[in-house]
Amino acid sequence: MITRRLALTTGAALLAAPALRAQQSTEITVHYAQPQIYKECYDAIAAEFAKREPGIRINFITTPNYEEGTQLVLRQAATNQLPDLSYQGFNRLRVFAERGIAQDLAPLLAREGDPAAQGYTPGLLALAHFGGFQSGLAFAASNPISYYNADLFRRLGVDADPAAFPKSWDGVIELSARIEALRDGTDGMWFQWPGDDWMFSALLFSHGARMLTPDERDVGFAGPEGLASLRLLRRMVTEGGMPNLNATTALQAFAAGKLGMRFGSTAFLRNMIQSTGRNFELRTAHFPQVAPDGKLPTGGAAGMLTARDATKREAAWKFLRFSTSPEGTALMAKNTGYVPVNQIAIDDPRYLGEFYRENPLFRTATEQVDRMIPWYAFPGTQSVRVTQVMVDSMARVVEGQATPEVVLPEMAAEVRRLLPRRS
Amino acid sequence: MSDAVLPLRRAAPIGEALAGLMLTAPAAIAYAVMLLLPTLAAVALAFTDYELGMPGFAWIGLDNFSELLADRGFAVSLRNTVIYVGIVTPLSIALGLGAALLIEAGIRGRALFRAVFFLPVVSLTVAMAAAWQYLLHPTIGPLNAALRRLGIADPPFWLSSSDWVLASLAAIGVWENLGYTMVLFLAGLTAIPRELYAAAQMDGARRAVDRFRLVTWPLLGPTTLFVVTITLIRSVRVFDTVAVLTQGGPNRASEVLLYTMYREGFTYLRLGYSAAITLVFLVIVLGLVWLQTKALDRKIHYG
Repeated sequence: MITRRLALTTGAALLAAPALRAQQSTEITVHYAQPQIYKECYDAIAAEFAKREPGIRINFITTPNYEEGTQLVLRQAATNQLPDLSYQGFNRLRVFAERGIAQDLAPLLAREGDPAAQGYTPGLLALAHFGGFQSGLAFAASNPISYYNADLFRRLGVDADPAAFPKSWDGVIELSARIEALRDGTDGMWFQWPGDDWMFSALLFSHGARMLTPDERDVGFAGPEGLASLRLLRRMVTEGGMPNLNATTALQAFAAGKLGMRFGSTAFLRNMIQSTGRNFELRTAHFPQVAPDGKLPTGGAAGMLTARDATKREAAWKFLRFSTSPEGTALMAKNTGYVPVNQIAIDDPRYLGEFYRENPLFRTATEQVDRMIPWYAFPGTQSVRVTQVMVDSMARVVEGQATPEVVLPEMAAEVRRLLPRRS
Repeated sequence: MSDAVLPLRRAAPIGEALAGLMLTAPAAIAYAVMLLLPTLAAVALAFTDYELGMPGFAWIGLDNFSELLADRGFAVSLRNTVIYVGIVTPLSIALGLGAALLIEAGIRGRALFRAVFFLPVVSLTVAMAAAWQYLLHPTIGPLNAALRRLGIADPPFWLSSSDWVLASLAAIGVWENLGYTMVLFLAGLTAIPRELYAAAQMDGARRAVDRFRLVTWPLLGPTTLFVVTITLIRSVRVFDTVAVLTQGGPNRASEVLLYTMYREGFTYLRLGYSAAITLVFLVIVLGLVWLQTKALDRKIHYG
């Protein structure tokens, strides 16, 4: 009996041994948010990665949105069950950097040679530089663009070419009023102010101001630029007839052809193309500029390394690098609406040239790349709450509960209270 | 187990007690692990400054509660919850009772109406919220289209105007709770003996209103009390419609207790503060249950 079992196990072990040696496989867990936007692109990247690194197996875990992704990883950090690699929203990276969960990527990057030669230019690296170190690598970036209903423009006798789209907010508001004047239940415009501070920063940055002063000791939006931004938001309602919708209802109204222009992130592009279908011709144009040196905030995601185990860390780094390489970036851009964040993929037409020729709607965001600066993440533990203060303040302006002149100083006072105190 | 059951007859009571303990053990352990311990952990957390992802925490005594008192957001959220409960509870009880009486008095289609009114209770709130979002859509929704046809030029923006959002959510809440109160009242109605109605009619209660006032309403007392408590608790618990439809906005006009708790804990990551809000919620619910048992003991007793 014993001998037979022994013989059997030995036989099995002998058979299994070569297979084990050949595999040498490492398994890593990779987290990302918003599978409804990203699933196709991660699957494509993983399939391509498997051809190059057959020894690394990838298990994806996903969360419906960035917020729950942050919660998941923070929870797992508390129970020591972190994934090896996690793709987080740009403005959430600071939370992980300040809590010591994200690892510094600078030494790993240095090992590979000159980062710029691999497409990681200083500007692109800065997108994921938080807490004083390279806490991540930018994976996908977005900026705000203008979406519009070209059929509606033609009905009004307005040139529907993206080049002819109003360059200034005055032009947009005037056009919006003309659409309202049709009086057929169609609204002129909607600016995506609810949700977070991203679109407020779009107005503020394009006026040339910043959220905080460079030393992060005081707010930077309480001046004339901030006031102009809030006044503009108010004028969209009073002069442009902007309805008080939330993000979902606005998207529905636009897709149904009941909204002329919509201002929001390019990340929604694929979603918008699908929901618009054949209802009307959807077009995209540049986000209206205010100051000549005005900037735009960058949304999107960056990969951050969290693996503790040395082998897994190495494997996770390989995947992170591939996903942000020119090849990985090209797969990402084709499968989403995001802007590529590898300079080689942007410059070399081999990667995306044909795609952008055939899909002009996707080109708008890439043409605004030189205006992009990082999505500002507030310091300290109350950073997310600051965002909410801004959204609530904008709601007061949009609903006309208080004038921009009243709201701005109150908003500044409340944000100051939430900034970390320094002695 | 066998040791406890088998031995001498005199030891039987102990054996029985042991067997009883062992039989209740699974339920008791499940209760302790799934309910009691988490509740106690939440109570303990309420006295700390713990933040999700932070390596440690400190005991800060009653600081969270004093912050609650000074927090404008919490005050708004508490006020909104009270208004919401104040609309939803009386309306869903009155309408539920009305529906129950009509169904009970009706001859045809009883099963159909029961099912129709009960449907919202068994359907998934999150899925139903999506349907409500479309119905209440300000520009392409059927409700506002109908209002416009009736000559109202600027119908309200139900879910995105801070004047209307709470009323709209309350209407959805009533729709959700009505079926539940109706079923409870239907059960209460069937328990009333038929002879009492006949006797009341003999004594001169000719009109249906009189019979309701003299027989139905008093005999429904215990049911009504139970319905009031359960509806209060169900409406204090409002969360999913807010989370799906408004996220507490615009400008906190629809921020309710549980949503504030969720936001503080899982968006702002301040678990300690969030636990303090949970404790307030727990006190409110326990208070309601206590009131119910008190009232049950004293006044309304017809059995």
